[in-house]
Amino acid sequence: MNTVFKWFNERLPIVNTFERHLSKHPVPKKVNFWYLFGALASVVLIIQIISGIWLMMPYQNTEEGAFSSIEFIMRDVDYGWVIRYMHTTGASMFFAVVYLHMFRGLLYGSYKKPRELVWIFGMTIYLVMMAEGFLGYVLPYGQMSYWGAQVIISLFGAIPYIGESLEVWVRGDYYISGSTVSRFFALHVVALPLMLIALVFMHLVALHEVGAGNPEGVDIEAHLDDDGVPLDSVPFFPYKVLNALVGIGVFMTVFSIIMFFFPEAGGYFIEKANFEEANPLSTPEHIAPVWYYSPYYAMLRAVPDKLGGLIVMAGAIAILFVVPWLDRSKVNSIRYKGIFSKIAISLFAISFLTLGYLGTVPVTELRTLMSVICTVIYFLFFFLMPIYTSLESTKQPPERL
Amino acid sequence: MIKIFIIIFTIYFTPNIFSAESAPCGDYGECDDYSYDLYNLESLQKGLATYINYCYGCHSLKYSRWGRISVDLEIPEEILFENLIFNQETKPGDLMTGSMIKRNAEEWFGVAPPDLTLVTRSHSPEWVYTYLRTFYEDDSKQYGVNNLVYPGAAMPNVLSHLQGKQVLGCKEVPVIAPNGGVKRDENRNDITEEKCGYLKIKESGELTQAGFDSLIYDLTNFLVYVGEPAKRDRERIGWYVIFFFLIFTALSSLLYREYQKDYH
Repeated sequence: MNTVFKWFNERLPIVNTFERHLSKHPVPKKVNFWYLFGALASVVLIIQIISGIWLMMPYQNTEEGAFSSIEFIMRDVDYGWVIRYMHTTGASMFFAVVYLHMFRGLLYGSYKKPRELVWIFGMTIYLVMMAEGFLGYVLPYGQMSYWGAQVIISLFGAIPYIGESLEVWVRGDYYISGSTVSRFFALHVVALPLMLIALVFMHLVALHEVGAGNPEGVDIEAHLDDDGVPLDSVPFFPYKVLNALVGIGVFMTVFSIIMFFFPEAGGYFIEKANFEEANPLSTPEHIAPVWYYSPYYAMLRAVPDKLGGLIVMAGAIAILFVVPWLDRSKVNSIRYKGIFSKIAISLFAISFLTLGYLGTVPVTELRTLMSVICTVIYFLFFFLMPIYTSLESTKQPPERL
Repeated sequence: MIKIFIIIFTIYFTPNIFSAESAPCGDYGECDDYSYDLYNLESLQKGLATYINYCYGCHSLKYSRWGRISVDLEIPEEILFENLIFNQETKPGDLMTGSMIKRNAEEWFGVAPPDLTLVTRSHSPEWVYTYLRTFYEDDSKQYGVNNLVYPGAAMPNVLSHLQGKQVLGCKEVPVIAPNGGVKRDENRNDITEEKCGYLKIKESGELTQAGFDSLIYDLTNFLVYVGEPAKRDRERIGWYVIFFFLIFTALSSLLYREYQKDYH
């Protein structure tokens, strides 16, 4: 060890941290592809931060300048289009991997004792991401930015007593204007990213404290070797890092295909109406949120009353926080749970995807009915969870991985 | 059991759920097919010329710059300035902001003609290609024309002397049976019925129909280009990036396999 490194290491826990969190951090030796999405989410977070910083430089956070500065980036800034498409594709891919990451949690019971806090930090990240995504979507100030913001901000107005003042407070004006854009800019690029980074840090610290789970739901800490290292584990570095690297390669290939060949993703990543500058006097024919909010938007529309819709929508997200206490099953993984859990999670996944589709298309009577049915299934999955997980007979998971 | 549920669910709901959208090209129904060709410089140059001569008087391209077009479309600046730029004070770095004053335009047309830089992105190339070819005579309208794709469009058909006078007419069309086939009588002749709302040229213009279609093809192609000037580069560079990540994936998976031997 050379002297400079030694000098630093005596003052900063370099070797200790490296060993504790990387080279000697034990992770289950056998997991499947579902366990990659956490790593992929952190890759996208880094992409978003870097591309975001570069986008910030030429972007103008004013009513007059916002839309045209985006076109300036797309045309006049050298490789500005790369940076911008990286950010727009990144936003959607962030949600895609986070949804898969969350579904992994539900499949394999990643939220169960002792990982409740890991789950709650994760859910908070998801909540902040949703706000971050919404704020970011307003910044290009196209038609969908404007009218989407109009719909979402007007939801605050449904809250009794304080609703209207709250709406004005959020907008910073009596209607959506330059003040809205500039405050959303501040929140999007400073406040929420700081929260996100802090939360991701806590998510990882908590995870490293309790250790990662696995698809069998086996507790690897139960069988240790003479040095106290779990027998069914490998060090995170280099083994799992290399594993993640393969996943990152595949993911980045998909990412590049979208970014370079289908950046609008057929109007799902960048909506067509957003190529028109915001116009308060002309409402787009059909207002649809970006795909990653659409399940909740479908729920909102399924309820005829605005406040009711807001409560259902908020409830749909809030209920995810308490999943660790709703699942009473003796086993962690869906592989060893009973038939009821398997049916429940399948119905849940189908109804969530259906809601996602329904949230992107115009309303018809049949679609509203479908949304109601799917919303009920969504909630029943959680409400009935304590019952079906404790009543059903489970299979015995293995002792070792 | 889950599978049965999914099958029932799909069969019952799919046709109903997906059937509520209005046609993408208004009263025309499905838009005509269109595929752009950003490597066809001649087509892009012709499209630019048509745009400047017929459209630019009212419709700006305010996010695009003259100089960029000159470079991308390989038109020497002198030629561009001599033939297509009528304002002597224009510089290559200037935005193509058009020449019409917004307030005047609103007075003349009711609404200011929109900027068209991003029209192929906010609609689609197919939409633009179809829209420009579906004007027809309609005396009830301000300019004596209406449009099938965008009924009530507040725009005169500036290309009518090229296309000729187009009107809505009726024609005999085969009757389609519910199974999708053509209905036939006992002598195996197609059964037809008269249907209206079809476009036909009443009085031909300076161009043949094919010539006019090709003019609009070039114009739309130019609008696709100007909607996203980086598109050609994007699709070219994309292959290299994808190639890089494929190599990256291959190498990292070889390395991963090597390391995996340690614990298997």
